[in-house]
Amino acid sequence: MGPRNFIVAIVLATALSAGIFVATRLQAPATLNIGFVLPAPTPLPEFALLDQSGVAITRDAFRGHWNLVFFGFTHCPDICPATLQILAAARRELQAAGQDPLPRIALVSVDPERDSPELIGQYIDNFGDNNLGITGNLEELTKLASGLGIYFEKQAGEGGAYSVDHTAAVLLVNPDAEFHALFSGPHRVENYVHDLPLIMAGS
Amino acid sequence: MRTTILLTALFIGACGVEPQPPLVATEVVVTRPMPGMAMSAAYLSLTNNTDQPIHISRVTSAQFESVQLHESSIEDGVARMRAIPVLQIPAGETATLERGGKHLMLMRPRGTFESVSLQFFDDDDLILNVDANVQAIAN
Ligand SMILES: [Cu+2]
Repeated sequence: MGPRNFIVAIVLATALSAGIFVATRLQAPATLNIGFVLPAPTPLPEFALLDQSGVAITRDAFRGHWNLVFFGFTHCPDICPATLQILAAARRELQAAGQDPLPRIALVSVDPERDSPELIGQYIDNFGDNNLGITGNLEELTKLASGLGIYFEKQAGEGGAYSVDHTAAVLLVNPDAEFHALFSGPHRVENYVHDLPLIMAGS
Repeated sequence: MRTTILLTALFIGACGVEPQPPLVATEVVVTRPMPGMAMSAAYLSLTNNTDQPIHISRVTSAQFESVQLHESSIEDGVARMRAIPVLQIPAGETATLERGGKHLMLMRPRGTFESVSLQFFDDDDLILNVDANVQAIAN
């Protein structure tokens, strides 16, 4: 075999193995790291709440976007900002990689007593642009939360201080305002960067 | 021989006599309160260099009206946060305060600032002062 034929053989062999690689990738169902896609997306429960501008919203506020929905509260200095920071970082990475559509981050307050629309708006602005903040009446928030299997409960502390226990999962709501997928953790940037494009592409 | 003794004496004089601080803080991170937010958090490792347990019962800061020891956890998918009345650090051991676990909850900032001082009390005695610059939490 002359040197030229040898190079051709290498090129062919490389192309062949690349072809096999691509074929196996296409055949294997894409596995998700942490995301769980619901067998059938379910419409969000009906609710009447406020966005961060104080504007009355219903579940239609979720339409037209993919939404990463987290239930939390602004007086939570540890787990809530950590989770939102991860979602924001994942979205930045996806954006840098040219992902389209990009999910919007939505924070639903589990502490409407302290979370005014203004406060929740200031808070979510720390985690990127075009986020959605939702707060309002406790009864209406409970409708939304319990309809999605989200638990929250106020826990009294010392001297009138309190915290709110809440489900730590992140939900993905699709552009038809349906609960589409669930991320129960571990919440890591690479897991969201890996799973979100696959889920939004419908694989 | 005399020279050797002299050198040894000098060596001890320079390095050997300095007592180790009883409690040492490392990996200190103090998050900057987000705009409009009444709280923030501090994380650090505390090493007890003594042969007695240390009980951190109180932490104060000039920059915050209230500092509390808290512990976050995620159990059965539920995020919780509870106050820890006393942080026990056994002799020779290190207590780690980190994201999603034990932390100092810093409440009601007094104005704006670039650095924070924290005073740790072992029962009623001031045992450690830590100064740290604040760091942005997100973006
Ligand atoms: Cu806390």
